[in-house]
Amino acid sequence: MRDTTGTTGTTGIEDLLRRHAPQVLGALVRRYGHFDTAEDAVQEALLAAARQWPERGVPENPRGWLIRVASRRLTDALRAEEARRAREEKAAALEPREPYTAEPPREDDTLSLLFLCCHPELTPTAQIALTLRAVGGLTTAEIARAYLVPEPTMAQRISRAKAKVRGVRFGRPDNWAERLPAVLHTLYLIFNEGYTATSGPSLTRRELAGEAIRLTRAVHQLLPEAGEVAGLLALMLLTDARRAARTGPHGELVPLDEQDRDRWDRAAIEEGVALVTRALSQGPAGPYQLRAAIAAVHDEAPSARATDWHEILGLYEVLVRLVPGPVERLNRAVAVAMVDGPHAGLAELELLADELGEGHRPDAVRGHLLERAGEFTAARAAYESAAARTLSLPEQRYLRARAARLGP
Amino acid sequence: MKYLVMVQGTQADYDGMQGKPTPGSPAWSEAEMQAMFAHMGAINDDLSETGELIDAQGLTEPARTRLVALGADGKAVITDGPYSETKELMAGYWVLECASLERVTEIADRVTRCPLPEGAANRAVVIRPIGDGGGDI
Repeated sequence: MRDTTGTTGTTGIEDLLRRHAPQVLGALVRRYGHFDTAEDAVQEALLAAARQWPERGVPENPRGWLIRVASRRLTDALRAEEARRAREEKAAALEPREPYTAEPPREDDTLSLLFLCCHPELTPTAQIALTLRAVGGLTTAEIARAYLVPEPTMAQRISRAKAKVRGVRFGRPDNWAERLPAVLHTLYLIFNEGYTATSGPSLTRRELAGEAIRLTRAVHQLLPEAGEVAGLLALMLLTDARRAARTGPHGELVPLDEQDRDRWDRAAIEEGVALVTRALSQGPAGPYQLRAAIAAVHDEAPSARATDWHEILGLYEVLVRLVPGPVERLNRAVAVAMVDGPHAGLAELELLADELGEGHRPDAVRGHLLERAGEFTAARAAYESAAARTLSLPEQRYLRARAARLGP
Repeated sequence: MKYLVMVQGTQADYDGMQGKPTPGSPAWSEAEMQAMFAHMGAINDDLSETGELIDAQGLTEPARTRLVALGADGKAVITDGPYSETKELMAGYWVLECASLERVTEIADRVTRCPLPEGAANRAVVIRPIGDGGGDI
């Protein structure tokens, strides 16, 4: 997200700032309320720190420094507001009752902020933007760049979102368990935006995946017993572990079965496997745990050939019962093909034909299965048909190359 | 002042980018594709940074064009692609808010310096000032 061409020191300071951002904002909102104004004040304090610390050094208590500077900005802003509104000096009431910058950080503030940012009143795009700014500590410009929209548009999106949640009580909501899936979904969307942007023109988007992992890890530390949080963190780690192998030397996409597994990130795989194994032993598995378990089977296989497809099919059987969506059922059909042969997979695909609609994915899968069945002419036609349907140039290139490989 | 900045391409250019060469439009290698993405991406990033970017989009190939006209019988006449392989059509655009025509020209000049495969046509970039909708009446 940020300029990483600077010194390691600068990067270190940026990490530090982002880690503290939700804690500083939480402290201010608990003290003064006014989430929207407090959020602006924290951004200003973060910018001030990013300017000053590299030159003058990091203060001894960085969090306290940020809270002090942000409170000063906030009280200034509130005083100005008050003065405008009432022409009455009420600033005395705004002074903190006791020095509070030395309080231990309330980690739970991060959660309260996440629930606020993922409020059901907000659209998914607004939830994402607000989460990245208020919890992730990113600037509006950085978020705008990552999603390739003009900065004023992103600024408007964020201020509209803030206006909508104005007055919402700050704290972990009573029905938090019910609202947790919305928070996890937002984090998952941020991750996917970053992960799938590999061939896109905007390199900065890739760092969204790292940001999503960082935020999900923070939630996992706060809710270590929540199985789906552990599942989502595991899924992200196990997917991101393949990042280096996922693109070829020229940036082309490399499918899972052709990836160089020596380039997978072993530490991330170990952490992901440990997380999902522990989560699965603690009760009925949710969709993220199941997806993570499937990713774990792939990541633990020494080669594509040695992949335990029986295990994967079993996991998909459970997953499609929980989430009977077209993507899940299409993936299950692939697993069926790997266990019972391509013809069995093609038969499954036929059953889904109506539901899957006109996207390019069913044709692409059909092409792969026909190719495995040795029906090259039909496979070629399926690849060509998929290429004609997708709107993505890298996907068109991949599908046309697959078709061309099967001869004229 | 708002400007529409357009890049142009033919169906043959798109085929080349999908890996299918034709005379005058070579197939692009993966490295060439990535170099193009990087060039355009850097322009987008910079325009986003300066606040001049309003919108930027790439269009799909000319073959996917649909024309809708009003027929003599009062019914819509719908024609789906294709155009001749060599007809230049808009391939992508930026909507920009720029201080001057000189500044947009500078940006268009940078666009024309996109790395291309050997033998590919370097097509002109088109600048069209956007009309002012009437303003405050």
